[in-house]
Amino acid sequence: MDTFQRREVAKRVFAYELSKSTYTTSEGDRTPKYVLTPTGEKCNRVFMVGVLLDKEEVKPDSNFWRIRISDPTGVVTGFVGRYQPEALEALGDIQPPVILSIVAKLNIFEGETSKFLSIRPESINVTDTQTRDYWVIETAKHTVERIKRLMDGADEDTKLAKDVYMTDIGEYLSMVEKAVTVIKEEAEIFSEEGRGDDRTDDIADESAGLKETEEVKTEVGEARIESSEIEDIDLEDFEFEEEEWDLSDILEEE
Amino acid sequence: MAEKEDRIKILTERVLSRFEDYDINPKEVSKRLSLLINEFKVPEEEAVRTVTNYIIKELDISPSETFGESPIKSISELSRSGEWVTLKVKVFQLWDADSPNVSQVGLIGDPTGIIKFVTWAKSRKPEVEEGRSYIFRNVVTDSYGGRIQVNINRNSEIIEIDEDISLPPREIEVVGALVAIQQNSGFIQRCKTCNRVIKKGICAVHGKTESYDDLRIKGVLDDGMNFYEVILNEENLKSLTGIGVEEAREIVKESLDRESVLEELKKRLLGYYFRVRGSRGNRYFIVREIEAIDGKAVEFADSVLKEIESLKKEIGV
Repeated sequence: MDTFQRREVAKRVFAYELSKSTYTTSEGDRTPKYVLTPTGEKCNRVFMVGVLLDKEEVKPDSNFWRIRISDPTGVVTGFVGRYQPEALEALGDIQPPVILSIVAKLNIFEGETSKFLSIRPESINVTDTQTRDYWVIETAKHTVERIKRLMDGADEDTKLAKDVYMTDIGEYLSMVEKAVTVIKEEAEIFSEEGRGDDRTDDIADESAGLKETEEVKTEVGEARIESSEIEDIDLEDFEFEEEEWDLSDILEEE
Repeated sequence: MAEKEDRIKILTERVLSRFEDYDINPKEVSKRLSLLINEFKVPEEEAVRTVTNYIIKELDISPSETFGESPIKSISELSRSGEWVTLKVKVFQLWDADSPNVSQVGLIGDPTGIIKFVTWAKSRKPEVEEGRSYIFRNVVTDSYGGRIQVNINRNSEIIEIDEDISLPPREIEVVGALVAIQQNSGFIQRCKTCNRVIKKGICAVHGKTESYDDLRIKGVLDDGMNFYEVILNEENLKSLTGIGVEEAREIVKESLDRESVLEELKKRLLGYYFRVRGSRGNRYFIVREIEAIDGKAVEFADSVLKEIESLKKEIGV
């Protein structure tokens, strides 16, 4: 089948949902690969706004970086190397914690017993809380729309998602609820302090960063209980397409 | 080995499920699948498709019979060729067919977009009229010259409907994130004679030429459902970033590098949300007005939370 070359839309999916995504679909050799998420979004590219928690060179002097990005729902891991020149250049000047906007492709490492999703940023830029708030609300709306389709069970992608993940709708509604509540409460705190729109980006960035770091700690704790299988991953299972590196520390962290 | 056989069995059932009304030998299907997948290492999906197509050809049945109704899609959803779809459209414009093989050619539209259609002469379909609305059932997408179109063939059906399908509004508003900035953006130079962007003082048409400075960004605005290619001119950029041609010259004076203007613009634009009003052109979205979002997103928090609450009730959580 001949493919019409069309740019892939950058989908809006929360980090928690992305981190649970393990299923890829491709309609043929020459069509792009898509990751199917538990609520039935088919994504080849995503747009995210989240806090850079840390960045670390995978091996000394490899210029191949592992980053961890958090939104109010969870954390995703990303890798930036020489195949992502624009993101690599931008990342050089950036120090965590800071709010970033990221356009990324998705990648799933497949082991024999488990799978592990990471993002490959195409572009990275430092951004502000206003953009973060917009992203969270926008992503919440998109996710709620998907959940509604999932409940109707009418279209193929959501049906497949249900079969693959046995998606717990309540779990994902709670995820969205939590994200929106975090944003709303933070906005209320700022307006109570009488800063409202006057808050400077620097102050907001910093406090949001810290706040979300706390958020993440609890999230990681929960994630450990839910997905203990990640700890069982046999690293030998993974085939690395870019460079050989050691995943053991990421997996231990999770 | 047993695992492989099981897999073939599952795939065979999948193929057969599409031909329930026909008498097909499962062994023959399994044999073909196994040959493609196990011997020739063809990906499963391709093997299934190949065998399915083979059966369709052998039995001389139309895809519309086996696959039932093609799904109703809106024009903006059409993204690849070879897809069987049903469209509800209004005929926007008819062109002169330039080949005897074509009975009609023109543009059809629905609220999400406009697309070219071709009716093949041998399909023997009734002619459509400009301004009337139709259901185009079981038409197939195709790409021609890098653009997508729909073809009406002998398996298609065209049915006139009373409903008046609306076409995309002339002016639309989009709120999206600027997810990419493309080549030939930034602090550019244009030919004084023809205004084309020139590189290293050489115009593609006028050769070595006199030039003037200009600023522009060719970018992609993405709202998570569609993307829009936009061109932002100096006026747009100055209002969004405070950087106009004058400021760009200052930046170059300090950094001694024209590229640093683009770097500066990227820092202020990439990954940010903008509200844009304008019209769809052939490829680019023609920007009439652009502004940064107003930071009132949080006001929508309550309505989202309310919706979540009612959905939770619905599923009994």
